[in-house]
Amino acid sequence: MHAFKFDPVALPADAPAFRKEIREFLARELTAVPAERRANCWAVFDADFTRKLGARGWIGMVWPKRYGGHERSALERYVLLEELLAAGAPVGAHWIADRQSGPNLLRYGSELQRQKFLPGMARGEILCCIGMSEPGAGSDLAAVRTRAEQLPDGRWRINGQKIWTSNARQSQLMIALVRTGPLDEKNRHAGLSQFLLELSTPGIRIQPIVDLVGHPGFNEVFFDDVVVGPECLLGAAGEGWRQVTSELSLERSGPERYLSSFALFIELVRLAQRVDSEALRHAVGRLTAELWTLRQMSLSVAGQLAAGEDPMLAAAIVKDLGNSFEQSLPTLVQALVGEDVRLEDDTDLARTLALLLQTSPSFSLRGGTREILRGIVARGLGLR
Amino acid sequence: MSEQRQLLSDSAARLFQANAGWDEIDALGIADLLVPEDRGGSGADWDDACAVLQAAGHAQTPLPLAEAMLARKLLAETALEAPRSLLSIAANPVGKLARDARGWKFSGVVTSVPWGRDAAHVVTTVTSEGGPHVVVLAVADASVHKRTNLADEPRDDLRFDSTPALAAPASSREAQRLLDYAALARTAQIAGALQSALERSIGYALERKQFGRAIGQFQAVQQQLALFGAETAAATCASRSAAIAASAGDASFEIAAAKLRANQAIGVATATAHQVHGAIGFTREYALRQATQRLWSWRSEYGNDRYWSERLGRAVIERGADSFWGNLTDR
Repeated sequence: MHAFKFDPVALPADAPAFRKEIREFLARELTAVPAERRANCWAVFDADFTRKLGARGWIGMVWPKRYGGHERSALERYVLLEELLAAGAPVGAHWIADRQSGPNLLRYGSELQRQKFLPGMARGEILCCIGMSEPGAGSDLAAVRTRAEQLPDGRWRINGQKIWTSNARQSQLMIALVRTGPLDEKNRHAGLSQFLLELSTPGIRIQPIVDLVGHPGFNEVFFDDVVVGPECLLGAAGEGWRQVTSELSLERSGPERYLSSFALFIELVRLAQRVDSEALRHAVGRLTAELWTLRQMSLSVAGQLAAGEDPMLAAAIVKDLGNSFEQSLPTLVQALVGEDVRLEDDTDLARTLALLLQTSPSFSLRGGTREILRGIVARGLGLR
Repeated sequence: MSEQRQLLSDSAARLFQANAGWDEIDALGIADLLVPEDRGGSGADWDDACAVLQAAGHAQTPLPLAEAMLARKLLAETALEAPRSLLSIAANPVGKLARDARGWKFSGVVTSVPWGRDAAHVVTTVTSEGGPHVVVLAVADASVHKRTNLADEPRDDLRFDSTPALAAPASSREAQRLLDYAALARTAQIAGALQSALERSIGYALERKQFGRAIGQFQAVQQQLALFGAETAAATCASRSAAIAASAGDASFEIAAAKLRANQAIGVATATAHQVHGAIGFTREYALRQATQRLWSWRSEYGNDRYWSERLGRAVIERGADSFWGNLTDR
């Protein structure tokens, strides 16, 4: 049987108590946050909130204590993440550091790199961005052209450009995938390496890109003869593809891949409480079924990650289905609301709907397009 | 999946694939899985039962196994005399149970009884004297209107007119909400049939050549099958999660969600299975229809989308938006 692995997982016995602690914290810290700020909240940047989470020990909570972590379990971290996302907490500032840059450093970084950066990340003071996409390398990530050449003294000189880099201007660090060996068309994954770059390094220039709702979240990052020491290489030279693939598994597997429109779902339930409508009831029922199923699937992936497995296939499935769910919500809600709800209204429902209508098409792009994910699933089915 | 459950489901799957008949299946105690050990059953939970039902759905076993499991469980609970014969259930009885000096009598109609014509008895639950009762009705006493679903599975309407019945009060969740547990069982069968249709479609895509290569090598086909795979995974995970919830306690929320999610998967799955197969999939002879015709029928059986989305939607709205997340994570 082609049964993908989605074994149910039991959360730790102390999860309810931990949830209560998180909810009490959020009830204090998140007062009067409008609903549209709660939507897609892992893209909402708030450095103050991030430092407060760091002070609570809720960034890097699974990392070793000697690197500023708290040695909590991976499933406890999952509970934290889903509580933060469901509450719409503005977690965008540290999301990348906690989700992938920190774990990447723990897996491949040198002792020096870990000691230098991880404690600051865990405090919420060192923020990270992703250095993968380039103008000519989107889904085809192995096409990156940013180059690092090693100088005779062992240092590296980097030239090239990254793009679509969220939060680059507010971040201190980037983990960049660059080419260190010649491009071999027969083995395009060879000759790639990851670098840990401090964005204050001379020769790095960052320029914002305004997105379609007018938000300057994206950036272009240019590297002009950027010279860095050998200690900036992350992991082994030439191992960049293997490293970035494991980073992508972390990037694709979390609860943020189905909860980005959760704030709008809550507004829909609120509407159904006010307006007695069969269509609304049925929509709430169907969406609840999808949401519950996605949570079960996402929990299962978290359990597999906690058990030290690499659930690449299961994660791709959750992201694909999760993104489709997130994207279906705005269209559905727009079709269901009455004539008294207009997109330009100044209400929680209208503002959230307007924002998500425009931003949700990006959900199946970021972190791997739907087409790439389905390619991974097709390979898992034995079709490729 | 635990090793024991895997063994059980594997051996059941072998039996179903070999087209074992009712007597052979029953002799192995599969219909008694949910019956407590002290009543002569296996004392298995819903997770075990659903693993077996998923295998039956995968093999498209043409027997009322889910119904027999539920019937035996209800009989065991009430200590009513359990006839060792083919049993079915009626999840939606419309009628009246009353008793006089000579015993219980039932008047009414039970519709869409799986294999009603072949069963010796139909077990149902009816509220009488203020509480749920398990009722055993002899098919010989009924006027039977034979009907079949799209996959030629019998779904008979039975009419009883002041027919003597066995009845006893019962309090289990299954007795109180027979339809829910029938839906849970059907959801497991749906998961199995989806997997079977998926495997057949992948096999066909790897075999069928057009434009000089297997159609499964075309990205357009791969992307469709990938979504089919994802939908199958979702239905399977939903079914399994609901079965675990039913093993642990009240699962009305999970069963509603799982049946709805499985129903949703049927749309993409059957459309893609037939699209990939082309004309051969539309022949009477080719086996794909054994899965897809069942899936189309099972989507309606034991609650269609309208039924379950009304129930689930109403429950969520009554509890309110601000309770949603807390309720979801409490379960």
